[in-house]
Amino acid sequence: MKNIKIHTENMYLYYGSKMALNNISIDIPENKVTALIGPSGCGKSTFLRSLNRMNDLIDSVKIEGNILLDGINIYDKNIDVVSLRKKVGMVFQKSNPFAKSIYENIAYGPRINGINNKSELNDIVEKSLRNAAIWDEAKDRLHDSALGLSGGQQQRLCIARTLAVNPEIILMDEPASALDPISTSKIEELIVQLKENYTIVIVTHNMQQAARISDNTAFFYLGELIEYNKTKKIYTNPDKKQTEDYISGRFG
Amino acid sequence: MEKYRIFDNELEKLVERVLKMSNLVQEQVSNAILALNNCDLDLANHVIENDHKVDKLDVKIDKLCQKIFALQQPVATDLRYIISSLKINNDLERIGDHAVNIAKRIDSLSDYTNFCNELGVTEIANQIVMLTKDVDQLIKTQQPILANDIFQNARTIKDSCHKISEKIIEEMMQQKEVIVVATNIMIIVNLLERIAAYSTNIAESIIFVIDGKIVKHKKKTDEQSNNL
Repeated sequence: MKNIKIHTENMYLYYGSKMALNNISIDIPENKVTALIGPSGCGKSTFLRSLNRMNDLIDSVKIEGNILLDGINIYDKNIDVVSLRKKVGMVFQKSNPFAKSIYENIAYGPRINGINNKSELNDIVEKSLRNAAIWDEAKDRLHDSALGLSGGQQQRLCIARTLAVNPEIILMDEPASALDPISTSKIEELIVQLKENYTIVIVTHNMQQAARISDNTAFFYLGELIEYNKTKKIYTNPDKKQTEDYISGRFG
Repeated sequence: MEKYRIFDNELEKLVERVLKMSNLVQEQVSNAILALNNCDLDLANHVIENDHKVDKLDVKIDKLCQKIFALQQPVATDLRYIISSLKINNDLERIGDHAVNIAKRIDSLSDYTNFCNELGVTEIANQIVMLTKDVDQLIKTQQPILANDIFQNARTIKDSCHKISEKIIEEMMQQKEVIVVATNIMIIVNLLERIAAYSTNIAESIIFVIDGKIVKHKKKTDEQSNNL
């Protein structure tokens, strides 16, 4: 059995009085890609965002139950949210580089964390860009604006920026949905490479993408976790009819 | 949701073609055996001439499966159904070929109907007709219980074929003048045995469609097959 990186137990999440997540218990293994699938509004992004407490930013959100990261409850009072988010990085659907140079985009996080040594920063920038498979395209234009990169390059830059602060977990919310097939396949390959060193949780509407890159798949519907299993099993012989109907496009 | 209507139409078309193939092949086997039992050369020729229909349908099914894989990216039950359709189609086509091979040898047996009977070939041949009818029925109804029957009957037929082969060898050792005809009968027995084996394959593929279990290469004890 692989190490469990994230463990949730009887987790409920409410937006005001509306229940958005209903009794979610799931074990997310370390160094694996876990895909969250389900129709819009099923709670998968809400679930993803509760893993680094992004939902704290919404006043009406109330969470019950436990979310443990390496066995520690991340909603505990003593938890420093900033260091939690450093440990649990996030990549969004729409790439959102800072309106700064490529170099500064990457160096920003490490600098905030107190790294000011020029050569150390140079190393981090190069390593992060290399690990995000964008070094070759960016190395001759490090001091150009990041906004001059293509959409696919910007998304890989955002992944590099996430890697620069040395996270353990990377959350991805539809990271390739706005990209062309070539950029998409680069991101997908990157995700598969990254799992060697990171635990990845990805929300995707692209069934085939989840099938291609994830080790485990969780199907959410109406705030409930309907089925969670090895991706191979989900796509060849799911246990629940709802899962089968959803992945084969016969929903509703 | 237009896309899935197209998908369902394609699937329906595939189901229809596989059923047609199964029916056609079953008919070929029945006619080949009838021709064998009655030494009916006209009927044997009819089987040989009809083979192109089987071949044509074989290619049509292959192409449709390819198209569905490429354009619809099937998953779950759909995926298992299409994978199995390809295999079942292949197995049916082979059964069809064997029916033709049997038909082609009937000519050489014209004076030896009684010999076939004595050796038990006629009986096995009739059992093969029943077996392929069961296969056709299984493809239609997808009832696991029928698969179970097919596993058991195919096993019995295979055992009988081996026994007949031994008997044929004995006959050949005793009387040299039957060697030519006995060799032809031996080949026919072997073809019947192969049809039984392909029928087992088809039943295994249907089990895979129904519940995703791979049962091939596994010894099917009675207890196990009762649980299917």
